[in-house]
Amino acid sequence: MGERLRAVLPSILSVSLALAVCWVFIALTRDPETATEAYLQMLRGGLGDWPMYLDGGRVTLLTRPIGEAAIKAALLLLTGLSVAVAFKVGLFNIGAQGQMLVGALAAAVVGAQVQLPAVLHIPAALLAAGLAGGLWALIAAALKLARGVHEVISTIMLNWVAVSLVDNWLAVGPLRAGAGTGLSTTGTAEIATSAHLPRLFGEMSRLHLGFPLALAVALAIWVWLARLRSGFETRAVGLGSEAARAAGIPVVRRTAEAMGMAGALAGLAGAVLVLGTEFKYPGSLGAPYGFDGIAISLIGGNHPLGVTLSALFFGALRAGGTRMQLLGVHKSYPELIQGLALLFVAGRLVWLALLERRKVEKPVAPARQPEASPEVPRA
Amino acid sequence: MLEILEALLSSTLEYFPALLFATLGATLSERSGVVNVGIEGMMRAGAFCAAVASITFPTPVGVMVGMLAGAGMAAVHGYLCIRWRSDQVVSGMAINLVALAGGTYLLEALYGPNGTPPIQQLTRWHLPGLSEVPLLRAFSGHSALTFLALVLPFAFHWVLYRTPLGLRLRAVGDKPHAVATLGLSVMGLRWLAVVVGGMLAGLGGATLSTAVLDRFEQHTPAGLGFMALAAMVFGRWTPLGGFLAALFFAAGNALRIGLASSAPGLLEVVPQGFLLALPYLLTLALLAIQGQRTHAPAALGTPYEQESR
Repeated sequence: MGERLRAVLPSILSVSLALAVCWVFIALTRDPETATEAYLQMLRGGLGDWPMYLDGGRVTLLTRPIGEAAIKAALLLLTGLSVAVAFKVGLFNIGAQGQMLVGALAAAVVGAQVQLPAVLHIPAALLAAGLAGGLWALIAAALKLARGVHEVISTIMLNWVAVSLVDNWLAVGPLRAGAGTGLSTTGTAEIATSAHLPRLFGEMSRLHLGFPLALAVALAIWVWLARLRSGFETRAVGLGSEAARAAGIPVVRRTAEAMGMAGALAGLAGAVLVLGTEFKYPGSLGAPYGFDGIAISLIGGNHPLGVTLSALFFGALRAGGTRMQLLGVHKSYPELIQGLALLFVAGRLVWLALLERRKVEKPVAPARQPEASPEVPRA
Repeated sequence: MLEILEALLSSTLEYFPALLFATLGATLSERSGVVNVGIEGMMRAGAFCAAVASITFPTPVGVMVGMLAGAGMAAVHGYLCIRWRSDQVVSGMAINLVALAGGTYLLEALYGPNGTPPIQQLTRWHLPGLSEVPLLRAFSGHSALTFLALVLPFAFHWVLYRTPLGLRLRAVGDKPHAVATLGLSVMGLRWLAVVVGGMLAGLGGATLSTAVLDRFEQHTPAGLGFMALAAMVFGRWTPLGGFLAALFFAAGNALRIGLASSAPGLLEVVPQGFLLALPYLLTLALLAIQGQRTHAPAALGTPYEQESR
């Protein structure tokens, strides 16, 4: 089995098995027809309603669902990249949720309080979100580098701090729209139209600039990791910081940079949510996109391209999941599929052993001990 | 003054057992060398199954079912991490995600979005002598689990530091190869620690749904499992340290609720969100002061391979 196949196959098999298990699960709680129908609905909701389009020819039947899927995928891609970049330097970023939260708030504040032409306003809001998320993540990096505080613990704590401060104070207190005027609204003030991310297909779907932006970011990260010296050094630190230090790589600097970048990516996800679809910081961020990022990154093998594919797939699944509700299947279903897929990915060595065994039966090659993935750092 | 202290103590003891059981569960697992960030998911499974079982069976039976559910989730973790040497953090996070989404789905499918129907809470013990004495009165009127939580850390400490089994469990987290040299089973010891740890996490979850609340709600345990991980680190991976850390967090929580309800004027000066953030900020500060390089078990997170050295 080629190296590439070894890296990709467990993820594909895991996702397929998760889909199969969940089908059985619906079939058991309801009946097989409902399960199949639910999956068809999910497919139509995520990839466009092709049968109805071919019937009537209304193009929005395709653009609406695909647009929704792409919007979801953009968010998952950015948080997934956030987790993946931290992994590359050997850190486990559980804090993407908190970083996304502060990024979203920063984007909402800049979008609403600053007056600029659109050409400058959007970059300014994106930059503010990236900076906010990056600084939030750097707290964890600083605690790790200076005091040895494990980043899993510090980022979890920072998540709670962000939720408490933003959702329970800033967004409902000083930054609430019409604070002090007695108006009861949720969330911050609406951002100016000059800060709206432009829609790509006008009224035909909600798809906005955030999606190509996320794809471009993924491409940039890939180039950085695969082609640039600093990206190589970052990966070297992740594979073994002692060896990297001995080779003269500035370990502290690379670690801080990568963690800051991870935070910036998550912050950017917050900006895309606010500037693209919400147009204000809502009362609370709602879905745990930051935690989804962990699953997206790991299922995608922490590789920028793998993360992209995994984000696209689960974005479509998420968008399709809302359609399943028509059949009374709960909308948390795609999350269950995602969780199970991650569980099966965690058992990737089981997959490899199964695949190797089948191969060993034929030729005489000795069974190789499967090795742990070098990509995932030990905690 | 005395009454306020008494109320705070009582509130602390209400919140404390669930956190403590989960902390001890995490500590046990990690002392054997297996990272367990899946505590939150195991608690959720325990809380859900305990509540569901308590609808038809007596509540103590429900608690047992919750413990079994936690142990079942831990067995999945053990199978992946011990048997297959998978990445322990990934497996733990996967367990969290499955428990979160699966719990939401099952709750919705079986009972609707608002939570399970109310169940019979665990009996609260009113100790005849104690309920007369001021201050100590706070110890009365809790379920048996609270008293278990006050005793268990000491029992745990005794097992871990005074029995051959405890010595082996500690050794397997520090130098598994040395344990193997003695002819003991590294895998067996780790399985024991992980499954019993999951059982304790399940008990923590069951405490939430049967003693603190009288139902399973959509967000249970709302991050308490992650709090337990912090308490474990903060308590330096020891039962008594974890006991003090859990007590500290529980007291911080009680203080927060107490402040918000007894002094509403305070909320105008200090925003509530800031009070909510306080325990987490304190944890961060304490961890920064403490520094964490030396206390974790030496082999933590390293899958055991017989032939490696």
